[in-house]
Amino acid sequence: MRRTMLYLPGNNPNMLVRGHLFGSDGIVMDMEDAVALSEKDAARIMISKFLRRGDFGRVEVTVRINGADTEFWKKDLEAVVPCKRLDGIRLPKADSPQIIKDVDEELSRLEDKYGIAQGHIKLFCILETAYGIWHAYDVATASKRVTAILPGGEDLVADLKTSRTPEGTELEWSRRMIVIAARAAGVDAIDLMFPRVTDDKGLRRDAQFSKDLGFDGKSVIHPNQIPVIHEIFTPSEKEIEKAQRIIAAAEDARARGLGTVSVDGRMVDVPVVKRAHYILVKAGLEKEDE
Amino acid sequence: MKFASAGTLESMDCLVTVSEGGRGSGLAVELEGSGVSRFRSAMEKTVRDTLEALGANDLMVNVNDRGALDVVLEARVETAVKRLRGER
Repeated sequence: MRRTMLYLPGNNPNMLVRGHLFGSDGIVMDMEDAVALSEKDAARIMISKFLRRGDFGRVEVTVRINGADTEFWKKDLEAVVPCKRLDGIRLPKADSPQIIKDVDEELSRLEDKYGIAQGHIKLFCILETAYGIWHAYDVATASKRVTAILPGGEDLVADLKTSRTPEGTELEWSRRMIVIAARAAGVDAIDLMFPRVTDDKGLRRDAQFSKDLGFDGKSVIHPNQIPVIHEIFTPSEKEIEKAQRIIAAAEDARARGLGTVSVDGRMVDVPVVKRAHYILVKAGLEKEDE
Repeated sequence: MKFASAGTLESMDCLVTVSEGGRGSGLAVELEGSGVSRFRSAMEKTVRDTLEALGANDLMVNVNDRGALDVVLEARVETAVKRLRGER
């Protein structure tokens, strides 16, 4: 489940110590935008020390490295790949299949070097240009490591030659395209973070929009955002109860050799059953592949 | 004298400054700050173990602690030593 992935500045011990305790589904230790150029070395060492301790409970642990267009990315990977507890790499500016192939190759080399199962480390690709959004499906299918794609924020807005609006109109279609590409490629779609940390109403509206588009969750920049997003992305008791009735009715129909049945006056066909299973997965009552 | 530092004086962090000592002078570790009265020996051990792992000799190390965990202290010492060596 990736309803929330909380960014933690990679050179901030206070946040790195406590970050996994706020209840998000995942954490993203950041070596990129949250770290000044003069502190890249310090963040790299700090994050690798934390990862070696491996004390993060059940949260998904990822690291946002510096982009493959910088001098830092290979050093970043070398520092974190051998560590005890790393589930994935969040790759910024992952705007072409070639970039994914280059990073995939480097990850394979490091996994081989450190005796880690090939393909263990997953990739979360942030698409931060119009070109990247246009090629989202190609990026998502460029390596088996790709487990999720994400729309960029400020860089993407700049590349689109527009500016931020309170309504978020400027990124609406990019977000839609990410969901379509992710579903076509069979990977997760994780939406961008909501930047105004004290605007709960705005966050609620934005998270609901993300959910309605089909995203699996959102990036988060403040712990206070986590409960609001979880509330929206977690199915309600009523939804769960209905999903269970739909699945039970479909199984009963199949056992009795009936074609279709109805629940609450609505025909239950294959897509309805599929959606019911998806709700139970989201509620943590079923595994993804059941 | 050549020196380098790493870290901050923010809560749960520490500021580590390392400077080159004379040849054969060994390691001198100086600790100050909030956690020192209670954790001096553990902190000194962390600093010395980290320096040993890095093969560092003939250094003066000053730690100004703001409640850093050992993992943070280790990271700051390693960063400062690598900066002193010009390894960024």
